[in-house]
Amino acid sequence: MDKQDNTIPQTLQQHLRQLGQQFSERLRQELPELAQQGERLLQSSEGQRQQLLPALRDQLHRLAGTAGTFGFTQLGQQARELEQQAERWLDQQQRQQQDLETFVAALQQLGAESDGGSSQSEQQRTGRPVVRTEGDTRLIYILEDEIAVGENMRLTLSNFGYRAEHFRTTSDLDAALQQQLPDALIVDVNLADEDCSGLDYAASLQQRLEVPLPLLVLTHQHDFATQLQAVRAGALGFFAKPVDIPQLESRLERCFAQQSGEPYRVLIVDDDRDLASRYSLVLRDAGMLVEILQDPAQIFDHLRDFNPEVVLLDVNMPYCTGPELAQIIHCNDDWLRIPIIYLSAETDIAKQMNALIKAGDDFVTKPISDNALVAAVFSRAQRARLLSDALSRDSLTGLLKHGDIKEQVAIELERALRTGDRASVVMLDIDHFKRVNDEHGHAAGDNVIRALANLLRQRLRRVDSLGRYGGEEFLAVLPDCTPQQAKQIIDEIRERFAELRFIADGGEFSCTLSAGVAGTDVHSQAEQLRERADKALYAAKHGGRNQVRVAASQEHGD
Amino acid sequence: MSELKRILHVEDDPSIQAVAKVALEAVGGFQVLSCASGQEALDQVQGFAPDFILLDVMMPGMDGPQTLEKLRELVDIGEVPVAFMTAKVQPGEVAHYRSLGALDVIVKPFDPMQLAEQIRQIWSQRHG
Repeated sequence: MDKQDNTIPQTLQQHLRQLGQQFSERLRQELPELAQQGERLLQSSEGQRQQLLPALRDQLHRLAGTAGTFGFTQLGQQARELEQQAERWLDQQQRQQQDLETFVAALQQLGAESDGGSSQSEQQRTGRPVVRTEGDTRLIYILEDEIAVGENMRLTLSNFGYRAEHFRTTSDLDAALQQQLPDALIVDVNLADEDCSGLDYAASLQQRLEVPLPLLVLTHQHDFATQLQAVRAGALGFFAKPVDIPQLESRLERCFAQQSGEPYRVLIVDDDRDLASRYSLVLRDAGMLVEILQDPAQIFDHLRDFNPEVVLLDVNMPYCTGPELAQIIHCNDDWLRIPIIYLSAETDIAKQMNALIKAGDDFVTKPISDNALVAAVFSRAQRARLLSDALSRDSLTGLLKHGDIKEQVAIELERALRTGDRASVVMLDIDHFKRVNDEHGHAAGDNVIRALANLLRQRLRRVDSLGRYGGEEFLAVLPDCTPQQAKQIIDEIRERFAELRFIADGGEFSCTLSAGVAGTDVHSQAEQLRERADKALYAAKHGGRNQVRVAASQEHGD
Repeated sequence: MSELKRILHVEDDPSIQAVAKVALEAVGGFQVLSCASGQEALDQVQGFAPDFILLDVMMPGMDGPQTLEKLRELVDIGEVPVAFMTAKVQPGEVAHYRSLGALDVIVKPFDPMQLAEQIRQIWSQRHG
């Protein structure tokens, strides 16, 4: 899988982005200076102006060249126009006072527009969003006519690491949509000043798009008709006002998780090799991962190794029928939850019922159309995954729970010992978290925990596992990663986390985190490894917090 | 015929200097020496022995054309191909720079991902 995401910290794109950021910092200094020079120009005598203009022209010239190179296209063009104007004046040696005022106004505007950002790429580069997570930041558009509600939502979503934009009117939103499509859209149904409802607007927008946008709907009305209309417009969530934003955010997160989720894993048990291959082909075409098992006796080996989310069972197999095998599977507590679908030529409803009563969830009759097979498997797999996520994931953060992440550490450690790769375990804790709860309330505390979870999720690789270990404590395991690399990654997250601004009744606040890292040794055991990471975390706390410590490598024979 | 490997880049603007260096090294695989002024370039050019020189036109002190003139006087450097880089390209200007001895002109703003390719093309014009 994509193991390299974080282990090579300086990719070209990152490097260029970094230079872009440096340049935008430089702009923050240079643009006000230019504005000042313009002011001076206005107040000067004609003779002085002739002295001032060449320097100003040269500076604009430089800006015209550099700004575009770093993606500030508009700024570059404006600078160029002003440069040409200055050039003309120098040639003619005479200027209208009025033209001069327009010129200086434009010069000062140059600064203002760059602060506000005039295109998506510029906003990204000038780092206006509260969280700078770069490239993969999700862009969310909010259509909400109540300013306070919309702005609050925008700020909170920014805290969570999204890039959120708030629009008051459909025409503002239309303009933004022309520039860039968001990753998701949040729409208020009731728009006071518009001719159409938010839903009408969203529905017609979705029709114009090739791929409909994930849509969340806000409303005062809970009636069935509105909900139906929302679903028809492609709504994936429905929220009554006043909106619980963390809840809305977690729905967003789920939309994206489903979009970019891993393929469903399907195990087919069928003694007819050709038929099994055919099913396998159809399901693979639909983007699923498929394994075929011909010998039912090996069922548990395959369940354990492949960890399927759905099992397709042939009803009529020699020496062990489908229903018998299903019963065997369900007798095992570990596999109680796995959906089982029978494949059979059996059309006798009574016999089908009989099989289902013993064990199993669904019956698919041969010959089955490709579409029907995909639909049957897909819906089961989807439900199974949602259920298993709900059971094994922490409800606040969507991360693995205590037990599951500990198990994951053990699994990764085993893998590391087998392959000889280094793995690292990280214990992470939010500094002075109790103070956050005391001063800003538990809702604010939950926001902080969730924001850190999101940040970790966004910055870590897909192969890394991440869990909420305790209240404000997180445990992560990073396969194929040395402690030094892990420290670098976590340090970056630490810095980003410290930059986050949280909004609570008591005003703005920010938090820091401490972390301890421990790397695998030849004779590591999961619990020892976690304890060493924990000790390093303790050392980080005692060393003044807001830092990452690496555990000393273990002595031999320890 | 020599191969295009080493590029001397003369540019007073630190942002452009940095982005061009990344663009030429990481994308193009070239070896780049950046100089902040014409004088610095004159001091270092013989030690670096570049295959190609990229000169910003407008620099404080010695500008691009003046630097080119001085470079041409140096032993072993006189024949090294040169391109100018500038934000201002008006009709006739390219012809003017060519008459000074530059192979071509690269216009700012440039796309960092394309810069190496642009230079390769200019290089192949000459060697093609």
